[in-house]
Amino acid sequence: MSIVTVQLGQCGNQIGHEVFNAICSDVHGTHGLCSKKENESYHEASKERFFSEEKSGVPVARAVLVDMEPKVISQTLSIAARSGCWKYDDRSHFCQKQGSGNNWANGYSVHGPKHKDRIMNLVRKEAEKCDRLSGFFTIMSMAGGTGSGLGAFVTQCLKDAFPASFILNHVIWPYGTGEVIVQNYNSVLTLSHLYRSSDALLVHENDVIHKICAQLMNIKQISFRDVNQVIAHQLGSVFQPIYTGAGPLHYSRSPLGDLMETLVPHPEFKMLGLRNIPQMPENSLAYSTFSWPGLIKHLRQMLIANATMEEGIDWQVRPPRPGSSIPSKHSTSKSLHFNTSIANLVLLRGKDMHSADLGSFQDPALYTSWLNPQDAFNLWKTPRAFNKYEKSAALVSNSQFLLKPLDNLVGKAWNMFASKAYIHQYTKFGIEEEDFLDSFTALEQVISSYTTL
Amino acid sequence: MRRARGRALPGAVAALCRALPPRARPAPDTLRRARFDRPQASSHCWRLLCSLLKQVHGGKWTEPDAIDIQIRFIKSVLWYHGYGRPELYRLPSDGSAGSRELLLAFSWLLHRISLLEQLLARNRVRTGDETSVCTCEDDLTNSQKGRTEIAPEYSLEDKVDVRYLQWLHGRLRFQWRSLHALHQEQSKLLHKIHLFTSGSHMDKILGHFSVTETELIRQPENYKQLLQFLESETMQLEAFLEWKQLEQVYWHWMETVLDDMAEEGSMCKSQDAHTMKSMLPKGDSCCHWAGSLVGKIDRLSRDLMTVHDQLQELVTHRKSAWYEKVKTREEELQKEEFCAAARKTQEAVELKLLDLTYHCAPKKPKMHGSCRLVFRSKHSASKTGFGRSVSKEPISTVSATEVIRELQMRKASLERELKQLQEECRQRMDEIAEGLDGVICISP
Repeated sequence: MSIVTVQLGQCGNQIGHEVFNAICSDVHGTHGLCSKKENESYHEASKERFFSEEKSGVPVARAVLVDMEPKVISQTLSIAARSGCWKYDDRSHFCQKQGSGNNWANGYSVHGPKHKDRIMNLVRKEAEKCDRLSGFFTIMSMAGGTGSGLGAFVTQCLKDAFPASFILNHVIWPYGTGEVIVQNYNSVLTLSHLYRSSDALLVHENDVIHKICAQLMNIKQISFRDVNQVIAHQLGSVFQPIYTGAGPLHYSRSPLGDLMETLVPHPEFKMLGLRNIPQMPENSLAYSTFSWPGLIKHLRQMLIANATMEEGIDWQVRPPRPGSSIPSKHSTSKSLHFNTSIANLVLLRGKDMHSADLGSFQDPALYTSWLNPQDAFNLWKTPRAFNKYEKSAALVSNSQFLLKPLDNLVGKAWNMFASKAYIHQYTKFGIEEEDFLDSFTALEQVISSYTTL
Repeated sequence: MRRARGRALPGAVAALCRALPPRARPAPDTLRRARFDRPQASSHCWRLLCSLLKQVHGGKWTEPDAIDIQIRFIKSVLWYHGYGRPELYRLPSDGSAGSRELLLAFSWLLHRISLLEQLLARNRVRTGDETSVCTCEDDLTNSQKGRTEIAPEYSLEDKVDVRYLQWLHGRLRFQWRSLHALHQEQSKLLHKIHLFTSGSHMDKILGHFSVTETELIRQPENYKQLLQFLESETMQLEAFLEWKQLEQVYWHWMETVLDDMAEEGSMCKSQDAHTMKSMLPKGDSCCHWAGSLVGKIDRLSRDLMTVHDQLQELVTHRKSAWYEKVKTREEELQKEEFCAAARKTQEAVELKLLDLTYHCAPKKPKMHGSCRLVFRSKHSASKTGFGRSVSKEPISTVSATEVIRELQMRKASLERELKQLQEECRQRMDEIAEGLDGVICISP
C-alpha cells in the first residue's frame, strides 16, 4: 500500500514537495477530531503509504526527483531537510547540467533514452523499499520540456518495467495564456503518449487553481507556492487514508488500485478531474461551520454545471429529465451546459460523515446511459478530519470536465501545426510530423468518446 | 465372533464420531439410533450431514439455512458425487424421515470421497506458510462450483452496451493486478519472517519459524487458543487412527443395515421402477452402471484402433505426397536457396515437434495442492536470492526453482497459443472487413 512518487521537471518537483508537506502536517496535526485509536491507525497508514522508516527517525519520502537542471532539485531537497518533519532520500534524485529548453522532443527522444537506466534504477530502489507497492504517482506539467517529454518517456518505462503496478499521472494543465509558445504542442504530445501507458490522468488546470487562490483564498499576490499549496491540499484529500469498504475495518490497502477500479476501468476514458470543498484561508477556518447537506449540494451542482469552485456556480443547470432528450446525437447542446459523468467518487472526511446522504449523486440522469449508478458512483469516508477542515468533501470525477479544455487545446495546437510553425524544433530531435498526426488522431478519439456520452 | 464384533462396534462408532470436527460431531448414539429411522433423529441427521458437507466443499461456517434448503444442498452434493440410491432423493424436504438413508449416504461418503480425511485436512491448524501450487494442465471441464453469473438487470432490451462490458473487463483486470500486489506483499513479508528467524527453531531441519509461531511470539496471550486447537486436532487424529483399526466392524454393521433395507425394499421395488426414471435425469442406477461402463470401454478401445489405423494411412499418404513436393521444389530452386529454406522449415518443425511431444508425453505427475514454504539459504543458484532448494528428507519436497521453471514453460506455451489465436482472430476480422463497404479494420 505504498505509493512511489516520481517528481518530474521543475513543476513536478515543486508540487511534489508541497504534497509531502501537506501530508506530513495533516498527520502530525492535532485537529483529527476523532478517537486516539482512529488517529493512530490513520497516522500509521499514511506514513506507510508515503514515507519509509530510516535509522535517523525522520521519515523519508518515497519519491524520486528527476529534472534536467540542478537548481530546483537542490532547493527542494534542502527545504525539505530543513523542515525537520520529513526529508527526501539524498540519493533518490537525478539531474543534469542543462535543461530541455521547453522542447518535448528533447525530453522524450534525447534525454529519455540517454538517462533511462539511471532513472529506472532509482525507481527500482524505491520500489524495493516498499513492502507492497501500490503503484506510481507521477507529477508533471504538460507545457515544459522536461516534465512533459521526459515524463512521457519515464511513464512508458514504468509501464514496461512494472506491468502489474498502477500508474497515476498527475498532469498540470498550463495557463491558457501561458508563456511557452509551443506549450500546445507539448501538451498534445504528452497527453497522447500518456494515454497509452498510464492508467489514469488526474488533471489540475493552472487557470482554475489561480482563480481559487484569488477568489476563495483571498490571496493578493499569487505566487507559484500558493498555487502549489492548493493543489497539494486537493491531492492530499484524495490520497490520505480512507475507508473504501462498506465496513470500516481498516484503511484501504490499495489506494491507487481502488481508485482506478472505481473510476477508469474503461480504456478510452482516463481523464479525471478533481474538485474539493470547502476551500478557504486558514485564518477563517475557526469562524466557519460546515454542514454535510450544504457541502454535498454544492459539490453536486459543481459536478453538474462543470463549476470549478464553490462560488459562482450556475444553479440553473439541471440534469436532463429521463426520456426528454435523445442521448448522443443531440448531446452537443446538452454538453455545453450539463456535465455527463461516467463515474464519480466522493470522499468525505470529518465528523458525522455517516449522517451524510448522497442519494442525489446516485441519480441515473447524472450518468451516461450504459452505466448504472451502482457501478458508477462510489463513496469513501473517514471520521478523521483532514488538514484542519472540520468537514471536507472531495470529488474525483471521470466526466466531461476536461472536454472543453481539451478541445480548445487540440484546436489551438492544430492551427499551429497547420501552418507548420516551430515544427523544425521537434523534427530535429526525431519527432516527425507523423508522430504529431498520430497524437492528434488519438486525442480526437478521446474527445469524440467523451462527447458521445 | 458376533459378540466380539458387538463389543467393538460402539468403540468404532465412538472413534468415528471423535474424529469428526468439533462443530459437526454427533453423539455415537445418534448414529446407532439412525438405523431405526425415527423422525426426531432425522432432522438432526440432516443438519449434521449438511454442516459436514459444507465444510468439505470449502464453505465458511455460516448460520444454518432452513431445513429444506439444507436438504436440497445435501441431495445435490450426493448427486454430484454419484450417489445413485433413489430412496434418498425421494425423501421429504421437511426432514421428518430418512435417518437410515442418511446413515447409508454418510457411510458411502466416508468411503467414496474419503470424507474423514478431507475434513481432517481442512481443519488442520495452519502454519501460515502454506502456498498452493498448481502445474496442472487446464481442464475445460474444471471446477463447477460457484459459477453464478449475475446478469445486469437494468437494460431494457436484452442487449448490453459493449462499453459496459469493456468497463467490467477493465475492473476485472485491475482487481487482478491488486491481487498480484497482495501476493507479492505476502511473499515479501513471509521471506522477512523466515530470514529473521533463521536458526531459532528447535527443529534444525526447518530452521526458522512459521507465521503462526511468529504471531505467537508477538502476542503470547493467544497461546491458550492455539493450544486448544492443537489439542483438539491431536484428539481427532488419535481418534482417526483408532477408527482405522476398528473400521471393519463398522462396515460389517453397515452391511447388516443394507440387508435389512434390501428385505424391506424388495417388497416395493416394482412400483419404484418408473418413478426412479423420472427422478434421475440421467438414468442408470447403480446396478446398470458397471455394465455400461464396461461396454463403453470396449467401444472406446475399438474406436481407438480404427483411428490409429486411419492415422497410419494418412501419414504414409502424406509422406509420399511430401517427398514428391520436395523433389519438385528442389528442382525449382537453386541449391543455396533451397538449403536456407530447408533449414528454416526444419527449425519450425522442431519447434512444433517439441510442442507436440510436450503435449503428448506421458504426463509427469503434476503438482497440485498446498505446500509449506521452507526457506533455505542461497547456496543453490537463484538470482533473485529466494533460494529454496531441495532437502533430502523422507517427506516429499520440491524446489521452488523447479516449480518456477515449469510454470515458465507453461506460460511460454500459453503465450504461443495466445499469439496463434490472435492471428486467427485478426484474419477473420480482415475477411469480415473486406466484405463490408467503406470499413477499414485496424487491429491493435
